[in-house]
Amino acid sequence: MSDEGLFRSATMSLIQLYIPSETAHATISELGELGNVQFKDLNPDVTPFQRSFASDIRRVDEMDRRIRFLYAQMDKEKVPVRSLESALPFVNFGGLDARRGPQMMDELFQKLKEHEERLGQMNGSYETLQKRLQELEEAKHVLRETAVFFDQAEGRQEQVRGSIDDANAPLLDDVESRGFNSQRGDESGYGTFDLEFVAGTIERTRMATFERILWRVLRGNLYMNYAEIEEPFDDPTREEPVSKNVFIIFAHGAELLAKIRKISESMGGTLYPIDSNADRREESLREVLSRIEDLNNVLFSTSATRRTELVKVAESLSAWADVVRKEKLIYSTMNQFMYDSRRKTLVAEGWCPTNEIGQIQLALRRAAENAGTNAPPVLQELRTHKDPPTFQRTNKYTAALQNVGDSYGIAKYKEVNPGLFNFILLPFLFAVMFGDIFHAFLMTLAASSMCLFEKKLAKIDNDIFSMFFYGRYMMLLMGLFSMFTGLMYNDVASKSMHLFHSGWQWPRAEEGTVVEAIQLARTYPIGIDPGWHGADNALVFTNSLKMKMSVILGVCHMTLGVCLNLPNFIHFGKRWKIWAEFVPQMLFLQSLFGYLVFAIIYKWSTDWYETDASGNVFRNNPPNLLNMLIYMFLKPGDVDPKEQLYPGQATVQTFLLITAFVCVPWMLIATPYIEWREHQKIKGQGYRAIGTADGPGEDEDENGEEGSGANGHHGNGGAGGHSGSDEMEEEEHEFEMGEVIIHQVIHTIEFCLNCISNTASYLRLWALSLAHAQLSEVLWSMTISGAFGMTGVVGTLATVFAFALWFVLSIVILCCMEGLSSLLHSVRLVWVEFGSKFYQAGGYAFEPLKF
Amino acid sequence: MTGWTVIWVLAGVAGVSATTWVSTPKGPNQVLIRTSVVSALTCMYLMWCIVYLAQLHPLIKPKRSDVRYLD
Repeated sequence: MSDEGLFRSATMSLIQLYIPSETAHATISELGELGNVQFKDLNPDVTPFQRSFASDIRRVDEMDRRIRFLYAQMDKEKVPVRSLESALPFVNFGGLDARRGPQMMDELFQKLKEHEERLGQMNGSYETLQKRLQELEEAKHVLRETAVFFDQAEGRQEQVRGSIDDANAPLLDDVESRGFNSQRGDESGYGTFDLEFVAGTIERTRMATFERILWRVLRGNLYMNYAEIEEPFDDPTREEPVSKNVFIIFAHGAELLAKIRKISESMGGTLYPIDSNADRREESLREVLSRIEDLNNVLFSTSATRRTELVKVAESLSAWADVVRKEKLIYSTMNQFMYDSRRKTLVAEGWCPTNEIGQIQLALRRAAENAGTNAPPVLQELRTHKDPPTFQRTNKYTAALQNVGDSYGIAKYKEVNPGLFNFILLPFLFAVMFGDIFHAFLMTLAASSMCLFEKKLAKIDNDIFSMFFYGRYMMLLMGLFSMFTGLMYNDVASKSMHLFHSGWQWPRAEEGTVVEAIQLARTYPIGIDPGWHGADNALVFTNSLKMKMSVILGVCHMTLGVCLNLPNFIHFGKRWKIWAEFVPQMLFLQSLFGYLVFAIIYKWSTDWYETDASGNVFRNNPPNLLNMLIYMFLKPGDVDPKEQLYPGQATVQTFLLITAFVCVPWMLIATPYIEWREHQKIKGQGYRAIGTADGPGEDEDENGEEGSGANGHHGNGGAGGHSGSDEMEEEEHEFEMGEVIIHQVIHTIEFCLNCISNTASYLRLWALSLAHAQLSEVLWSMTISGAFGMTGVVGTLATVFAFALWFVLSIVILCCMEGLSSLLHSVRLVWVEFGSKFYQAGGYAFEPLKF
Repeated sequence: MTGWTVIWVLAGVAGVSATTWVSTPKGPNQVLIRTSVVSALTCMYLMWCIVYLAQLHPLIKPKRSDVRYLD
């Protein structure tokens, strides 16, 4: 059977591979490069930990973790990682000589481990150094700030001492204290201060609490002073930088000091030993400063070495990541295989497109050569009655539109693919709603530039952009069709074009009065006559036109949908359904809505004011089609001659109505009856279960199953045999008349009601195109048309500004917003109104192993 | 131009469709090209024909109250 492009999914085969365990790795990597086999999990009951290659996966995971660590480091240091394409030449995994493969992996494992360890060490030492540096910085601040406290305290001391010297100084003490002073006075000004103190830093947020606690604990027996350190400190354990305060507490007695120390440590403060001697403080400050400088040097060189290391790693990191990713895929694929330990082979099963089996054979042979053995893996095609996965062969043009269809549901294997028709119909329906030459031109411009520069633009990694980029060909089609429909609506950003001779002429009349155009003997050939543009009753005309157009297009679209049932019925061997379902559905749809379309076109093509030879109008007034449709149901067989569309209308309508009513029981009864009769026939032949009804095909199936079942017994305890019996059970479903009838009743009611509601749903084409036209007119009159009347400099400026506003809003509102909403509605139309007529969407997608 | 234009254009569109159908080269995209060309032509024809037919025998005439004369 040949493939039919996008019309049906590709023909698939279930294949079985016997892979000698030494070539397994090479085989999978070849098949992964090829990317057209979807492997089945042959040990679904085995947990991930019990599988054959769990240890390899663990090792690859470890490597993956290291690579992520390296990436995180790159991110932190802002080292750019070389992109994969340019990184590959730096790594000699390119050819991946399979014999050296495992060895390479070992090397890579070692390399990654070394890099991680080295970086880990560097990070560790960097952090310790940084911590030391921070401590020193704090010490520096403490030294500086406390110097201020001491200076202040000295000033006060002088005053205090002055008063002591002058007045009540005891005589004896005087000598003593003076001697004491002279002993220590030159060293410091605090000699008499035998208050002792504690100095340190604490977080600013904790300061208030700290103060209060100290006050309570020491009962006020302290003198505390603090200063804020202006620049905040970086705390590696926290997100935000921390701002700290320097404090110094004077208190008396060793016990109290010990208490203060304890409290401040418990509050997270750091204490620094400070000498009360100014010179010594000066000295230690100098020491601290020099140490800070040293540390800064060391830190700089550490970070430089780390950076060089990272830059070196960055050269090939993405290539390593790629290798590891592939490796992981290979091992998890191999875990799905069954291991035959006696014959040392892996048994794999999977789906592949039938016409690519040749390529797969070649790949297998290549893999065997690479692995250095002359026993290539054996490929065998299995016969099965399981549903194969659905594989639509798309290319870059069709991928986006096929994806739109697939996101509603994946087609059943070999079911008619709506994506093929959506390729044109969805952009067209979009265009009916988006018809405006100017906006469509902008869209086409954007889309075509994306198509022209696709190679360059493909590299841009931005979520929103890549979404548009993915749908660029769809956008191009939408833009082109919208330009066409814009031409039909004669709408260029709410203006019109006068390309041909108009069918209307404006007569001379007094200005300010209502003028009615005179009809000339010609019709505007392409699109809406510009004579309608700006007319007071233009909306009356365009609304009537667009509404009728929506109904016509909708009925055509739905008719196509119903017709697409035919290839499905024929392909799945249910030709009887053509008579049981397709014909009544078609008759029902056409006798009601096809007739409506006919009436619309008939009314358009009749000249209702045509006169006979003597100049009398011989036809009745044009009938109202809505009333016609209503009275067709209410008073069948009775047409008011004043409202007559054509002679013999009553008979035709009665006939159509009867047809439609006959179709309903036809749809209801035919399918259940035929299914019941077939069931009786099978019963009559003496078969019991449906599973054995297939006849000769079944035997071959069983052979195939036996093959895999036998392997299962050799290997992991009959997993293959188990899956075989599962398959048999799936096939055995009882024929239940009740279920069939209920299903058919629902199906029929759904179809009949949907015909009505879906036709109404197509009116969104009218609504959206009306909204688009009105919005662009409002935008024009609100922005740029106001600026046209002005003159002079103000006029120039206003025009420039108004144009900018108009242009930007045109793009944002009319192209982007309106475009998205039109897209949404057209997607709905192809999903629901079109798809529900034929699309079962009960399949599952083909997901091959692909690197 | 009369209502017959619709028929002539239909004949033209059908002719082009048939030509494309026959002349599409064999290959993996044959079905896609055929379907796309035929459905695009059909859609565009339908659209044109609807707009054209709607103006063939107009039931209402454009009216406006803001007509100005240049001379």
